[in-house]
Amino acid sequence: MEPLKNIESLAYFSPEILLVVFAAAVIIADLLIKNRESELVAYISLVGLGCSLVAILITNSLINSNEPIPLFFGMIRLDGFAVFFKILLLLATAATILFSLRSEELDARLKGEYYALLLAVTFGMFLMASSTNLLMIFISLETVSLTSYILAGFLTHSPRSSEAAFKYITYGAVASGTMLFGLSMIFGMAGTGDLSQISSQIASVLASGGVSTLSVLIAITFILAGIGYKIASVPFHMWSPDVYEGAPIPITAFLSVASKAAGFALFLRFFHVGFGKPEILQSIDWGFILAIVSALTMTVGNLAALPQRNVKRLLAYSSIAHGGYLLMGAVLLTPEGLGAIFFYLIVYLFMNLGAFYVVVLIANEAGTEMIDGYRGLATRAPLVAGAMAIFLFSLTGIPPLAGFFGKWVLFYAVIGEGLYWLAFIGLLNSVVSLYYYARIVKAMYFETSEDTNGLSFSTGTFALLSVFAIPTIFIGLLNIFYTFSDKITLQ
Amino acid sequence: MEFTLKTFIFYGFALMTIASALAVVTVRNIVHAAFALMVTLFGVAGLYVFLQADFLAATQVIVYVGGILVLILFGVMMTSGRLEMRIHIERGQLLLGGGISLALLMLLLTVIANTPIWKNLTDDGTQLAPTTERIGQLILNEKFLLPFEVVSVLLLVALIGAALISRKEVRD
Amino acid sequence: MEINLLEQIVIPIIKILFIAHLLIIGVMAMIWSERRVSGWMQDRLGPNRVGPQGLLQPIADGIKFLFKEDLIPNHVDKPLYVLAPAMLLVPAMITIAVVPFGSSITIPGLENPILLQIADINIGILFILAITSLGVYGVVIGAWASNNKYSLLGGLRSSAQMISYELTLGLAIIGVLMLSSSLSLRTIAVEQGAYPWKWNFLIHFPAFLAFTTAMFAETNRLPFDLAEAEQELVAGYHTEYSSMKFAIFFMAEYMNMIVGSAVVVTLFLGGWHFFGLENVGGEGSILAGLISFAIFFIKTGIFLFVFIWVRWTLPRFRYDQLMNFGWKFLLPVTLTSIVVTGTLWVVVKENKQLWIGIGNVVAAFIVVAIVAGMLAMDNNSKSAVQSTPAAAPLRGLDAVE
Repeated sequence: MEPLKNIESLAYFSPEILLVVFAAAVIIADLLIKNRESELVAYISLVGLGCSLVAILITNSLINSNEPIPLFFGMIRLDGFAVFFKILLLLATAATILFSLRSEELDARLKGEYYALLLAVTFGMFLMASSTNLLMIFISLETVSLTSYILAGFLTHSPRSSEAAFKYITYGAVASGTMLFGLSMIFGMAGTGDLSQISSQIASVLASGGVSTLSVLIAITFILAGIGYKIASVPFHMWSPDVYEGAPIPITAFLSVASKAAGFALFLRFFHVGFGKPEILQSIDWGFILAIVSALTMTVGNLAALPQRNVKRLLAYSSIAHGGYLLMGAVLLTPEGLGAIFFYLIVYLFMNLGAFYVVVLIANEAGTEMIDGYRGLATRAPLVAGAMAIFLFSLTGIPPLAGFFGKWVLFYAVIGEGLYWLAFIGLLNSVVSLYYYARIVKAMYFETSEDTNGLSFSTGTFALLSVFAIPTIFIGLLNIFYTFSDKITLQ
Repeated sequence: MEFTLKTFIFYGFALMTIASALAVVTVRNIVHAAFALMVTLFGVAGLYVFLQADFLAATQVIVYVGGILVLILFGVMMTSGRLEMRIHIERGQLLLGGGISLALLMLLLTVIANTPIWKNLTDDGTQLAPTTERIGQLILNEKFLLPFEVVSVLLLVALIGAALISRKEVRD
Repeated sequence: MEINLLEQIVIPIIKILFIAHLLIIGVMAMIWSERRVSGWMQDRLGPNRVGPQGLLQPIADGIKFLFKEDLIPNHVDKPLYVLAPAMLLVPAMITIAVVPFGSSITIPGLENPILLQIADINIGILFILAITSLGVYGVVIGAWASNNKYSLLGGLRSSAQMISYELTLGLAIIGVLMLSSSLSLRTIAVEQGAYPWKWNFLIHFPAFLAFTTAMFAETNRLPFDLAEAEQELVAGYHTEYSSMKFAIFFMAEYMNMIVGSAVVVTLFLGGWHFFGLENVGGEGSILAGLISFAIFFIKTGIFLFVFIWVRWTLPRFRYDQLMNFGWKFLLPVTLTSIVVTGTLWVVVKENKQLWIGIGNVVAAFIVVAIVAGMLAMDNNSKSAVQSTPAAAPLRGLDAVE
């Protein structure tokens, strides 16, 4: 299909436009509202997300799943893949806003900025999921990164938060600089920024000897530094524990789910559309390189999580490990692998956000983020403890919870391609992860604390908790009725 | 290679850029380093002219030399304002950093050496043609409108963030 | 490539030498006229002893500067201290390279007519903005290298001021560029033609005012001379300079004024054109060239008089007033001017220039009213909470200590 021109593209771009419009509306509303206790800006943001969701569904009905629509002269593309990620990101943002409403960390005076930035970062992530041009890839990545830096350092009075922002920005600057260098090299080799043309261009210069395999390899490695930084894969994961620990908890949850999902969207599109084509795979075997990265990422994440005492930091390492699992699906560069990643991301969205929500609640009520603070939670707040146990066991991958099915699909896809060793490492890692997840459960159920007062939560809290807990139990069954690899493809 | 006035000026700019870039990282006085950076950025603008990118060259000077670097100097003066402000580098860090930089240089040289299409680029003798109009058309009317608009969102976010971080603690 | 020695080397060098010397003589004339005009405005005589009407006074001053001992204080950062005056003077001088100071002269025997301009480059305006933005380094580096708190404060103020007003300077010309659809100063001047009602200062009146104001700020002239406010900072960034180095700072300031005036004349006041005189002597003749040069010279001179006039009319801004004025008035006005100019250019079909001119003025009034209203509201709510005035950064010495 011919790429649409600028004006023609606007209709298909409405979800993104709505987000920006509502971000501006939030800023203006914040200026006009004098009452600092008012939560109106949060509700405006939620309405904005709702409008955007409607727009996504409408645009989705306009596309045929097998024929993507290139927009803005091929800068971005609207296809099932983008729609899937947009909905996922939207849900994660909505959850983050709901968390933020409950969070007591945030300064009431800065709400307007906070929610405007959240909408802006979602806008950037939408673009990450749909970019098909090197320039657009970089700009969308930068939009997300820059906003994330600010959000991570949002608690300006907290040294921990400022440190988080500083580390984030330092690592981020190096990573995006390296990535930009790699992109420029690829552009210099292919002579085009368009992902769909790059593969054939690179293949032809490779064949004619104009470019050596080594050069392409190094260029892609540079680009991987930028993407790997976003999905916190080894060896670009170092920022993540400190940032996750220092950032406000809702933002930590957001970064661990949405930022990672958007990173994967970019990663998958980059490789499936740009460099996963057979003509390039002949000379460079990405699968093997990515498999090693994947194995390292999950192992490092899980091993580092073992000694952690701070639940936020523990979940940070755990989310690195989950990035490793997700990478297993990316290794394959097959539709089955892609389908497995989609499914795992949905499961991960619910279980990880749920776990972080409990962390927000405990931080508010008990005032601590350490495992010790979870002692005796089973008696103090049985429902919350029960939900937390569900999330943690699901993160481990214990049947019959959703996490199990997610891993099942991933391992199945990996074994199907004959990468038995990778599946084995994944399995070993799941066993290791049981140790540290179970430690929190042990603290909640088998240890007692001096403080035995029951913690009270509002009905809204329980409702939101069940929104995460119930899918974490049942969503695994979705896989039986719905196979993503048939529905959403990347080309 | 034909040695003309043009190549002579080109090597002048190249030398200026590289020498001052070296000075940026080796000089111990931070203001001197910032000043050397100015020469580097100016040299890069000169190199853009040789790439027939006149608009880019002028923009480089306006944005980097005239804007960003002045802000850097401003920041340096606000925070130190004294001649004694010096950067100390441990020997171990120096060796490590130098080693990594050297390795990276070797790597990139290998890439260049292994990419024949880059080496075969020659000056085809075309005259300097104005690029401003074409760039304006591309950014505001054609292919690059979306990136341009997204960058404006990015800058808005950066503006909000800067105001947020630099804002004084509000007491009430 | 064949090089025509006469046309490509000799004539440009003659033009460069001519303009460079004209600038220096212009500086001397400016120093003399500033003192005489100041005297006239304050109802006193001014210097009138050296030569007829005191005309040789600048030469006497120059000789005095040259013979003074060149002091370099011990505590300064010597390389940068020495470099700073040159950093200020050089940008001031090279900006004039792209300004057309007259039409063209056709001399029989030469292939091309001689343009009365050193270089007509197609990114002329960008070149000017780029080089002007370098000027701040002289001030900042000099201030820092002096290692003196008054100097440093002057430098800080100056850099903040220049960064703020450079935006206005750049944005104010966008409207002009839109109508002439060229960045070349010669084209812009030619587009305006000979009749004052077609000159850009009427079509883009708010932008013209904003540009002029920003240029005052860029040249560090009153009412924007906070960098050297003598009541507060001794002499600001050049406190530690003496002898010829100080003289160079002084010269650079006047050169900036002259070049700035020349740019304003080119962009907004029709350049070398004036009605009734455009065809005297015929197209390309030496007489027409000289007349065009004279017109340009007179226009620039009038504008320079405005510089001196303003100096004795307006008091100096306070720091917070300076920032408020730059960011809350000039910037919105120029931005609106761009939007209005662009919109009307597309919407209006006839008499575009007239409508754009009216639209710009109306829009500027509305913007100023809105901003003033918001500021007044802000001040009211502030004074209700706290009685102390808003703290102005860099106001006192405690900013450094």
